[in-house]
Amino acid sequence: MQLKEIPITGIPYDQLYIEKIPAAPEYCRRPAELLPAGNRSVVVNPNRTCMPLGAMWAVLGVHGAIPFVQGAQGCTTYVRYTFCRVFKEPATIATASFHEDAAVFGGRRNLIEGIRNLVVRYWPELIGVVTTCSSEIIGDDMVSFLKMARANLRKEIGPERADGIPIVLVNTPSFAGSHVDGYDRASRAFVETLATTRNKPNDKVNIIPGLLYPGDIREIKHLLRHMGIEGIVLFDISDPLDAPLQPPVSLPYKPPGGTPVEAIRDMANSLATFALQPHAGQAGARYLERKFGVRAVVGPPPIGIQGTDAFLKALRELTGKPIPENLRQERGRLVDSLADTFHHTMMKKVAIMGDPDVVLGVTRFVLEMGMEPVALAGGTASKTFDHDVEAILAEGGYAGDPPLVVNGGDLLEFEEHLKQLPRVDLVIGNSRAVDIAKELQVPLVRVGFPIYDRFGYQKRAVVGYRGGEVLLAEIVNSILGYQYPDDRTHQL
Amino acid sequence: MELSVDMLPERRQHLQREGLPACNRPTLPGVVSQRACALYGARWMLAAIKDAIHLLHGPVGCAYYSETVRKKRYEVFSTALEEKDIIFGAGAKLATAIREGVRLRPAAAAVIVYTTCAAGLIGEDVTAICRQAEANLGVPVVPVNCPGFCGVSQGDGHEAAVTALLEHFIGRGADGPPLAKSVNILGEFDIQGDLKEIERLLQRLGVEVLCAVSGRATVAGLARARRAGLNLVHCGRTGRRLALEMAERFGIPWRKVSFFGLAETAAALRTIAAFFQCPEKATWVEEEIESAREKASPYLERLAGKRVGLFFGASRMGSMARAFRELGLEVVFCGSQFGCREDYAESRSRLGRETLMVDDAHERELEEFLHRYRPHLLVGGSREQFMAHKLGVPFLVFPQETAPYAGFNGFVNLAREVATFIGAPVWRLAAGSPAPG
Repeated sequence: MQLKEIPITGIPYDQLYIEKIPAAPEYCRRPAELLPAGNRSVVVNPNRTCMPLGAMWAVLGVHGAIPFVQGAQGCTTYVRYTFCRVFKEPATIATASFHEDAAVFGGRRNLIEGIRNLVVRYWPELIGVVTTCSSEIIGDDMVSFLKMARANLRKEIGPERADGIPIVLVNTPSFAGSHVDGYDRASRAFVETLATTRNKPNDKVNIIPGLLYPGDIREIKHLLRHMGIEGIVLFDISDPLDAPLQPPVSLPYKPPGGTPVEAIRDMANSLATFALQPHAGQAGARYLERKFGVRAVVGPPPIGIQGTDAFLKALRELTGKPIPENLRQERGRLVDSLADTFHHTMMKKVAIMGDPDVVLGVTRFVLEMGMEPVALAGGTASKTFDHDVEAILAEGGYAGDPPLVVNGGDLLEFEEHLKQLPRVDLVIGNSRAVDIAKELQVPLVRVGFPIYDRFGYQKRAVVGYRGGEVLLAEIVNSILGYQYPDDRTHQL
Repeated sequence: MELSVDMLPERRQHLQREGLPACNRPTLPGVVSQRACALYGARWMLAAIKDAIHLLHGPVGCAYYSETVRKKRYEVFSTALEEKDIIFGAGAKLATAIREGVRLRPAAAAVIVYTTCAAGLIGEDVTAICRQAEANLGVPVVPVNCPGFCGVSQGDGHEAAVTALLEHFIGRGADGPPLAKSVNILGEFDIQGDLKEIERLLQRLGVEVLCAVSGRATVAGLARARRAGLNLVHCGRTGRRLALEMAERFGIPWRKVSFFGLAETAAALRTIAAFFQCPEKATWVEEEIESAREKASPYLERLAGKRVGLFFGASRMGSMARAFRELGLEVVFCGSQFGCREDYAESRSRLGRETLMVDDAHERELEEFLHRYRPHLLVGGSREQFMAHKLGVPFLVFPQETAPYAGFNGFVNLAREVATFIGAPVWRLAAGSPAPG
């Protein structure tokens, strides 16, 4: 990022910014009525992807589980590419490999043979069957196909071994919802299939983290550990998708960790279920509440001070355990960082994009920093997003202009809107906002899924107080690197 | 260790030590396949056409994933089908989307409409809608028939893309006499500057590249392609079909060449020089080879006797295998995701009888090959990469990450990178004595 014009001392903070090139020279204004995605049939650069990805993500977080995707080969390949790019880890995902015959005659043969082949090759501890648009459109009767697959398996490897492998079906037609909904559905499908009996209370809390990275999940475990609470993290990808390189490995390579199947069965016995991302995981928590009376605590994501406070307070209320001194100190350090850097972050105009829960969590955090959100885009259409944004703005006593809220929509809408604003200082979002930030000539702070153009973001945490410090530092440093000439950064 | 082939007897014919492996067959269900779908193949072929709108008729996921092809990110348009479109049909939506796309990007020279599984299954007449839109809008609107389930692999998407190229793009321009000493390069995708290196060599022969399909293609460039004096087929399967059709329609002669490795590049240059009867009988080729060999020699010393496993998309197998042998590496196994019989025959002729050849190997089999042959390097795409790392095997991503591998300079790059990968400290650290403590 090059400085175009060096600001002179004596300029008030809100005017301290660099003359920017607004857009590429060949930029021409788009027809105004076509700018909102709601007015269009065409979606330009979508800000969400399809349900199967969320479901595959979830299955990979279960110990020894392999997703089996009932669809064409591309449905697995694309997701494997995405996971490889983001996590830098192998992702073992089996395909039903639909070809023309499956499109005509249905996917029964593919499922029965496929389950058998998958089992004899990998001996998974669980199979998560994920449907796609093609299997849903041709109307595969998955429940009865799975019965046949099970019967076939019993014949081939004996009933004992065959019945030892649970199969969880997640219905994820790709033409509805998004990856966030796919994860949500998986959370429900897993507890519905596995956590079937409440027999003896275990004093644990269930955590459904949502689409959070391994680093984030480790941070949540850190919070639980210091609270002295035992937790069951459903879809714990922290080890499977961030595994150490320690040859020799036995074949086939199976990643370590993940939520044990037994732990998922035990979820019906817990004190409560925390769905940290309301849009991704709420369904599972609500199901357990309805069926077994396991209390559901839905959101907010533990990002920033108030977000993390809310999480810890809820844990305290539930278990009666006090918040220990060292977590208070972590909080104090984050508050200290906020105070130390407030003069850099205040009044900065920020645009935020990504999955709705991440956008909401980050919005609350940037308000704590005194920033002004000018546009918020949650790629997945949500019933509560607009309302949640209003609530967050009201709760912080935000007095600035209300931001543009894009609920669903695409990146074209977001970008064109940003181009029309007089000023944006910063974009916070995932890697798909790179082009937008470049076009606006402002820095991009990367948060959320997917981040494929930088390394290490999947290993760091942005949740919790310590994660807050990481994210805060990154936001502040990108502002410093961009807006302050070097001779003024010496005495910060 | 149980042998996976014994568990899945259907796979036995796909692994061959002497003859050619069975190929072009559907993937077995339930394996962790390295193949992609037809839509991916079509995107791979056509994504680089810069001045066209790329519109995916299907659910939003297909568009999301199709943005990133060949390590680059492209703008994509999508109809983002939803439940009601699946039930009531989405023809009208597609027609509107095309119109809106053109209004949003008025400078576009064409609209390319890709079909997906969903659009294929609900039975949309995409071709008719495109024809109608073309008549209404006055811009070429080109359907590419590539639902994900069609064909056995992404290879069939390449075919669909070639069909679209031939019918709607290539040779649309004004006829005229062949432009002197000009070539098209068919099946060259210009990954990390390969095309620039090839052009440099051709320039030394005085030959100009009209159009590279589709590494550097524009609608106008493709229309002009009919006036080339010669077609060079770089990537076999799709390139060959394009070449045959263009020979038939426009009478352009073609040659199969490869620019990977010293011998292949020299042979390619000789072929082209002979065709255009270039006067300077290319003494500079010998000089460049000499110079490349000299530059590569420190690396070659470190590579002698090392083993390598190759796993490619398709037809680069043969020429790359030869390049690796020139590096002094022994190719212990060699395979592809969707190679055809010609591809395997070409590789076999360059590898001899010792190499295990495998078609459509999936992840479990690759793991076993790595375990059994302990190659010093595996070459393949990024999905195999991290699995190889976990087993402690260095991995070279091809298409490459850093520098061109084509031409004489590319050979030096290849030697340097392979030697660096194999000798990297990380593998010693990973495999060595256990971590302290």
